[in-house]
Formats: sequence, structure tokens, C-alpha cells
Amino acid sequence: MSLDWAGAWQALIHHPLFGIGITLAAYQLSLAAYERTRWVFLQPVLVSMLLVILVLLACNIDFPEYRASVQTLTVLLGPTTVALAVPLFLNLRRIRQLFWPILVTLLVGGVAATGLGVLLAWLFGGEHLMLMSLLPKSVTSPIAMLVADQIGGIAALAAVFVMITGVLGAICGPAVLRLCGVRHPAAQGMALGITAHAVGTSRALQEGEECGAFAALGMSLMGVASAVLLPLLMALIV
Amino acid sequence: MLLRGLTWLVFFRLLGTVLNVLLLPMLPGPIIGLVLLLVFLKLRGEVGEPLQQAASSLLRYLPLLLVPPAVGVMAYAKDIAADFWAVMGSLILSLLLAVAFIGWLMQKLIDRQARHRSEP
Repeated sequence: MSLDWAGAWQALIHHPLFGIGITLAAYQLSLAAYERTRWVFLQPVLVSMLLVILVLLACNIDFPEYRASVQTLTVLLGPTTVALAVPLFLNLRRIRQLFWPILVTLLVGGVAATGLGVLLAWLFGGEHLMLMSLLPKSVTSPIAMLVADQIGGIAALAAVFVMITGVLGAICGPAVLRLCGVRHPAAQGMALGITAHAVGTSRALQEGEECGAFAALGMSLMGVASAVLLPLLMALIV
Repeated sequence: MLLRGLTWLVFFRLLGTVLNVLLLPMLPGPIIGLVLLLVFLKLRGEVGEPLQQAASSLLRYLPLLLVPPAVGVMAYAKDIAADFWAVMGSLILSLLLAVAFIGWLMQKLIDRQARHRSEP
């Protein structure tokens, strides 16, 4: 009797749970690696992403199939974003004390984070389509995708730049801040949240609750400001 | 308890979508939901136990939930490769400069406010 190994293999890798299975496994592996080593380059999101991509490539599964199979996970991103209101509320008193620093930092810093990226990419010779997809790189991905679409970029490409920025921010952000002598948790949180959105916020939550709350604040303010102002600005300029 | 909190979060998320379609097409549903929940908590003055529990459980797994969108990089590998150095260079440089600048600015403003408060 010969067993149908090829058939079993195909059934396994195309099962609707396969995507979730490898994502869960990759995440736990990279989390364990990070906790064991505490090495900044082993950011769980980055390592899991690489592991999952490797498995997908090895099994010849394309991204749309993977995306469809992990929908149960991604659908939870919405309620989780809403849940950020809780740490935000718990720190509202501290936030109100720092109202003016927050407002000034958001406006000046938000413009700097957004403008610098496009300016540099333009200097390095990036194409118009690339530039427009790069503009919302510091904003959380659902907003970034909407904004890129409205100003003439590619939504999916914007999501990729958002992810790269976020992962970079989580890796280098805390070290850069320490190097510059930024010690106040509120300042660290704002910097991580404004530049590196959700990934920066989840990194900031590791630093401490106050840092996380300000990161969530920076992320949501930056998101709202970009969603409203970027399309308006582009309409005025172009 | 956990389920009750989760239901609240899903409710606000869905409310966000409804308002997004009706009134605010430029703001995504989750962000509207976040603002609404914040207003709701402000009016109520406290976070209930179920909501606290659901929120902290979900937030613990935020990095896991971000893995699938991150894997999307593989679908655009070709486009990124074409402009690789322009894109990566500007992403890395602008991020480093922006993080340092924003952190420095906020720290300066906080210090200044603290000084103003202590010597009126």
C-alpha cells in the first residue's frame, strides 16, 4: 500500500488553519528568542515576519492566500486599536498636565517626520508614485492606506513602508532616545508613537505603562492629524 | 467578564465603521472607535473591570496581530527592489532624525514647563 504523501502535504499547507498555525508558531519562537537574548534586533514582529515569509516561500503559498487564511487574526486589529483608549484614559491626567508640550511636539514633530521622509526620497531620486506612498509612513497602517490612496500613491505599498518604519522605530528608537539623553517616559513615548505608530507603541508598552500611554496618544493624534491634513495639503499644493 | 469587555470593544469598533460611512470618510473606523471609547470613559469617569481585562489581554497580543500586515512586504518585493536605496535610505534616515528630534523637543518642552511651574 502506498501512502499519498504529496496529497497529504498539499492538504496540510492549503488548510485554512495553516496560516494561523505558522503565524502563532513563528510569533512564539521569536518572542522566546527575544526574551532569552534581549537583543534589540530580534523584535518579535520583524523576526516573525521573516519566519512566516520563509515558510510561505518554501511552501509556494502567495500572500493573498496567506492573508485570507489569517483573517481571523487581522480582524482583531480593529478592537485592539479601540482598546488603546483604556491606557490613554488611565493616563489622561498626566497628559492634561503636559497639554502644550504635546500639542507643539505633535505639530512640529509630525511635520518633520512626514516631510523629512519625502524630502530625502525625492533627493535620492524616488519616483512620484513612491513619494506619494511614502508620505504617510509614520501613520498607523489603516490610515496610511486611506491617505496614500487619496493623494495618488499605492495603498499596499504605503502599508509596507509603514511596517518598515514601525519595525525600524522599534529596533532603533529606544537606543536613539537614550543616546540623545531623552529620559522622560512621556517624551520617549511621544517620539515612538508619532514616528513608529502601532509597532512603536507596542515597543513603548514594554518600556513602561506611562511610556506606552504617551505612545498611544502620539500615534492616535498623528493618525487623526495626518488623515485630515495630508489630503487637504496635497489638494492645495498640487 | 472578558467577553463583556470584548463586546464593548467590538461595539465601539463597529460604531466607528458606521460613523465612518455616514459622516467621516477620511477617518478610519478603528480611530473613530478609539476616540468614542475615550469620550465614553471620560463621561463615566472610570474603566470597568471587564473592559480593563479585555483591553489588556488584547494589547498584550498587539505585536502578534501586526505580523500578518507585515508579511505583506513579500507581495511588493519587486517594486521596493526597483527603488530600494532611495526608499530604505530615506526611511532609515528620516526615522532616526525624527525620533531624535521629537524626543529632544518634547523633553525640552517638558523641562521648560516644569521650570515655569516651579518659579512663577
